[in-house]
Amino acid sequence: MSEYAVSMEHITKTFPGVKALDDVQLHLRAGEVMALLGENGAGKSTLMKILSGVYTRDSGSIEIFGHKVEGDLNTKQAQELGVAIIHQELNMCQHLSVSANMFLGREILKGGRMDTAEMNRQAREQLAKLGIHDLDPNTTVGDLTVGRQQMVEIAKALLINAKVLVMDEPSSALSNAEIEEMFRIVRELRSQGCAIVYISHRLQELHHIVDSVTIMRDGHYITEGKFTDFTMEQIIANMVGHEITNQFPRDTVPRGKKVLEVKHLRAGRMVKDVSFDAYEGEVLGFSGLVGAGRTETMRAIFGADPKDGGEIILDGKKLTIHNPADAIRQGIVLAPEDRKKDGLCTKLSIRSNIALPNLDLICAKLGTVLRGKENKMIEKGKSSLTIKMSSAEVDAGSLSGGNQQKVVVAKWLARDSRVVIFDEPTRGIDVAAKVEIYEIINQLKKNGVVVIIVSSELPEVMGISDRILVMCNGRITGEVDPRGTTEEEIMTYATRFGSN
Amino acid sequence: MQKKLNPMQRFLAIRGIASVLTAFAGVIVLMIIFSILNPNFAKPNSLLTLMRSVVPFLLVGIGQAYVCITGNIDLSIGSVLGMSAMISATMMCNGSHPLVAVLVAFLACMFTGFINGLLVGKFKLPPFIGTLGTMTIARGVAQLANGNYNTDNIGSEGAAQMYKDILYYGKTLGIYNGVWIGLIVWAIFFYILTFTRSGRHIYAIGSNVDAARLSGVNVFATTTKAYMVSAFCAFLTGLITMAQSGMGDMSAGMSYEMYAVAAAVIGGVSTLGGSGLLVGVIAGASVWAILQSGLTFANVPVAFRNIIIGLIVVACVLFDVLRRDGKKSSKKAKKEAVKVA
Repeated sequence: MSEYAVSMEHITKTFPGVKALDDVQLHLRAGEVMALLGENGAGKSTLMKILSGVYTRDSGSIEIFGHKVEGDLNTKQAQELGVAIIHQELNMCQHLSVSANMFLGREILKGGRMDTAEMNRQAREQLAKLGIHDLDPNTTVGDLTVGRQQMVEIAKALLINAKVLVMDEPSSALSNAEIEEMFRIVRELRSQGCAIVYISHRLQELHHIVDSVTIMRDGHYITEGKFTDFTMEQIIANMVGHEITNQFPRDTVPRGKKVLEVKHLRAGRMVKDVSFDAYEGEVLGFSGLVGAGRTETMRAIFGADPKDGGEIILDGKKLTIHNPADAIRQGIVLAPEDRKKDGLCTKLSIRSNIALPNLDLICAKLGTVLRGKENKMIEKGKSSLTIKMSSAEVDAGSLSGGNQQKVVVAKWLARDSRVVIFDEPTRGIDVAAKVEIYEIINQLKKNGVVVIIVSSELPEVMGISDRILVMCNGRITGEVDPRGTTEEEIMTYATRFGSN
Repeated sequence: MQKKLNPMQRFLAIRGIASVLTAFAGVIVLMIIFSILNPNFAKPNSLLTLMRSVVPFLLVGIGQAYVCITGNIDLSIGSVLGMSAMISATMMCNGSHPLVAVLVAFLACMFTGFINGLLVGKFKLPPFIGTLGTMTIARGVAQLANGNYNTDNIGSEGAAQMYKDILYYGKTLGIYNGVWIGLIVWAIFFYILTFTRSGRHIYAIGSNVDAARLSGVNVFATTTKAYMVSAFCAFLTGLITMAQSGMGDMSAGMSYEMYAVAAAVIGGVSTLGGSGLLVGVIAGASVWAILQSGLTFANVPVAFRNIIIGLIVVACVLFDVLRRDGKKSSKKAKKEAVKVA
């Protein structure tokens, strides 16, 4: 019996035409949280899918709790050996209750009828083990926050005696408070002897919970070791294969004239009274807790949600914006927070996606799309953003997260806008792609475009903006200079709920 | 960087072309089978008639394809068709000039299409319910047009005969006029869907309505355009059906909304929206028409005809779905591989 809960050696996996994993190893101890790091496409997910039996390996050996896996491992076997994955996209039946979800497919029966009372009791017991006492198993899952849903998913995995938990980007959709709770639960599981694989692009949060790291790049195993033995620079260098000297490049451009003025904007319940100015040659960052009203403010400015009051003035002219089409025409564009839901038509080609908001620029009078102009536009977007794609005709949905985000950005770079709003521009994309997005933001700034960034990652908003506005409870509660501020100062403003 | 593809490769790379080719293969197979069953089936004269019988399915299929690509459905097609036939026939019987009669029918049909757009695009009614309502209302209007009776024959003198010839009985260059009308209408709507801004918008709202709106697409206008195209196609089919029978039948177009779905779906249009090619509808409509007339030629009793057609349609679509599923699983692996690379 080895010292490891899971050990994978010499794992190789080939997909038609490409070697996805080449002689990869992974060692995970019980009672340990291991960060599995690598850029998008490094092979992390493939490796985890082999561990959970979704893919079969071409060669190599897997040992789980001393049990040597002979032949192909299927999902059922993996489950029986105690391996569970908490997916990035939660797999929950939104209309069913918490306990119904936890017992889905394994319902407890009594005399041919479902024994709801017993299932509720066991669900409550399992949740209590995670330190969650205030969640009624009868609650409909769809009514819970994403964070709570994740807890239910973890509880569900533990119900079938999971000993090895793989968490894929668990923090990407959570608020700070929810992340705290998730960390607490992960620590709880660790003390109970679970082995946890933690996959995340948010390197800054790792030191809270991670004991060891394994780093992969391009389908190869690079290194592993105790987390404390690495510096952040070493981790990044190992992930990308070369050193990124500046994680947050920020060019300074002299501040120009006032371009955008928002006065007493009100919209729905989330935007109560927002006023701010934005100037040429600056990147204006918006910080705050999830639910502070930042996204809603931007959506209201862009015309995606109706406004209840307030003025938007661009270059001294008062704008009337009823819908996104009005905003786009007048020079304000928004790259939304949720790429898949709001940013892209995933079933359409990259070409159609980039052209969609710009058809007014490339159409003849009667509405015929001019192919030549369109090609030029696509070419321009492709080269200025280095989008990795086999051709512009492939589905936008088939690209990796970072490349999808570049397509969203390319949509808006194709036209000359005065104000470009980025809502969470780098969510779920890897370090190298992040830096590319920052470079684009810098370029826009130099061209005299006003860039507004909404980001929940403090290091990002502090690293890339020239000025930060902090929101809380639908209002702007503070303005700070990112060069001379601390995370604590921003958090103070971000939690300044006042009666006013 | 991008490799230059030869025309053949470029053709095969068009999204959705595979479903279209499958459908055309189906057309050829059916033609061969029925020609063997009854050699008269492939005689030039019966082929000409067959082509003419494709037209109604083609027209309503085009309309339904437009609506399906936006991610909606139009159940009112059959009733709008009936309304068009009844209004025009009633007015002609009462002495109106065919042009006037056609114009009034046109306005009534387009208005229905606009209401569909309003209900679905503006007030966000589920398309199934919204168009179920207009379907029932339009059928009521069709019945009301001549006081709940079918109309008399519109006659065969002067303008009335000309109407029948232009739309159905006459030939140009040896081919029935109806076929020409179908082809011209198809070409126009093919152009709009494939090469214009409105066409792009139709695909975009079917693929992701939120993303489309945030890209500046007017969802209401686009939805309404699709429903009005559908209504226009139903209107035209109504005129052709009326020309064929020479009278207004209150039950004209019954179930045509479903034939339209069949033509669109067999031709590779997704009912979920965002994908589909109008070329496919030609194949889809042909499959439907060939089955109808082929089984008649083969002397199959009506009841069996229905059962066979039902089975074949399900088989057609099932085959396409299985083919796509097979492709998806290998595509998924490839996608994973591309990401890694």
